[in-house]
Amino acid sequence: MAPRSGNILIVDDEAASAIVRAVCRRLEDEGWGTTVVGKDEHGSADEMMWAALDAIDQQLPDGVILDVRLGEYRDDQFKGLDILKRIVGQHPRLPVLMFTQYSQGVERDTVARSALQVEAPVEFIDKLASPEEVALRIRRLVGAEPRSIAVGDRITVDTDARTVLVRDVNGQTSAVADVSGRRFDILRELAEAWYRSPGNMVPFDRLERYLEGDDTRASLRVRVREIKVSLGRALGISLGANDFIVSVRDRGYRLLPPRE
Amino acid sequence: MAVLTRRRLSFHPWPALVGIALAILGLALMVSSLFLSPDRMFPQPWAIEPLSYIGIAGVVFGLAVAVSVYVVSSIRHRHADGLNGADDWSKLTEQHFETFQHDLGRPMRRILGKCREARGVLAATGEDVSAVIHELLDEIEEQAPSFRLMMGNIQVMINLETPDAPIERYPVEPSAVVSRIVERYTGQAAEQGKDIAWWSEPEDFGLVYSDATALEHIIANLVDNALRYGGDYIEITVTRDSYNFQVRVADDGPGIPVHYRAHLFDRGWTPQLGRSEEKTSSGLGLYISRTLALRYGGDLTVESTLAAAEGAHTVFTLTLPVGTPGS
Repeated sequence: MAPRSGNILIVDDEAASAIVRAVCRRLEDEGWGTTVVGKDEHGSADEMMWAALDAIDQQLPDGVILDVRLGEYRDDQFKGLDILKRIVGQHPRLPVLMFTQYSQGVERDTVARSALQVEAPVEFIDKLASPEEVALRIRRLVGAEPRSIAVGDRITVDTDARTVLVRDVNGQTSAVADVSGRRFDILRELAEAWYRSPGNMVPFDRLERYLEGDDTRASLRVRVREIKVSLGRALGISLGANDFIVSVRDRGYRLLPPRE
Repeated sequence: MAVLTRRRLSFHPWPALVGIALAILGLALMVSSLFLSPDRMFPQPWAIEPLSYIGIAGVVFGLAVAVSVYVVSSIRHRHADGLNGADDWSKLTEQHFETFQHDLGRPMRRILGKCREARGVLAATGEDVSAVIHELLDEIEEQAPSFRLMMGNIQVMINLETPDAPIERYPVEPSAVVSRIVERYTGQAAEQGKDIAWWSEPEDFGLVYSDATALEHIIANLVDNALRYGGDYIEITVTRDSYNFQVRVADDGPGIPVHYRAHLFDRGWTPQLGRSEEKTSSGLGLYISRTLALRYGGDLTVESTLAAAEGAHTVFTLTLPVGTPGS
């Protein structure tokens, strides 16, 4: 994934564990910076709380991943919620992804209710979630699309430069000149929807905003075909009807990254 | 546990005491009849110590009342105790399950963490290792979602069987719930060469008043089933009208035979049972999903076609009321 300037703070008593390290690695692969507040350096759940709040004040991260349970002592089982309340009190717009034990149960219910009470961008995810799922959730929670979106391993949609970059079979990266103007806008719209939530269909009317004329639907089909031909040529492959930009039940299109 | 013990050993004395009081009164009448001349009280021919008879009758009647009232009250209390006991038992089971989840989750997290670390190392170094190692890592990663869902299913079962478990509704964004489910299963689907698409209509779907946990659990079970038994393409749509919202999970798999459909929502039923094969799932997912849907005033239905026609072959439709604040 192309570099981002964002930073994610991770507060977890098992910060040194392989599962948290895997999450950090995935976020870093996507270009996020990560800062970890763990128990090894801070000793107790209370110390972790003050360290986390201090890190938020100092670094102003884009988002926080916060474990609900910060230890085995009874008082530490919901310590994460204490920290959440303080975060929401001081930084009500800061997105927080809560790590819970499982997708069901008392712990999650408590977190869900707390999240509703604070009316802040707070969500929860169970700790066995794959690093990819955690990264996806953080992306959606933080909200803002990055300056460039990597769609699969070989295509990058650079929204700042309004350019599509493709890595060819020899590993050389080059811009696809044909995908510009309205074609770029259509591809950007699809890439941003995919970035926010994979598999999400973009309805025709949202894409037809970029087109003029009497039959914008037909015009859209032509533009989509042109994008696929241009990208296919740059990738050195043929993109068929069920590749890359796929029509969904004659309602819209969705992006399907090419499988390697 | 202390609460349970106290309840089970509790004694309910008042009904019995009333009967015993009657018996004592009868005994008192018997005793007094020895000292009082019946001639003073009763004319002949009933001078055969009628107070003694009344006393004996009082004792017998009092004891009968004491015993029968006690027996009846014990049965009623035992029944009531049974309900309270079940409630306590459910809470206790839930507490045990939380501990069990936590204790089982810790090693599972370690295994998964090490698995992901190993994948990272192999990817970074490009080290050529046996295919068996890759298969092992894949297997561990693929089992994780099943483990998460299984734990969720057991937890929901405990909640569903708790007497008078509250039904809570609060603002929920169904499209966000679907998005979360897709995020959870996208990786697994890609590993299996499958594809998940979703959309909501209207696109800006808005809020409903429901239970996000129940909703997420039902949809997760439907998507998990579609990945397990369906084809290569899964489609999730969320629609609404003034009264209800619907989540439709469709797949292009081989379809479900008619004789299987009748048992689909039965507890513990899996397709393997119909073929006398080894069970590969608990058979709880659809049972729990439909029970939850009914509990929240909705329903879960299935349509399936076996014909090799265009379009979806199996469609599960979850319908739930959009609800109102405080409903």
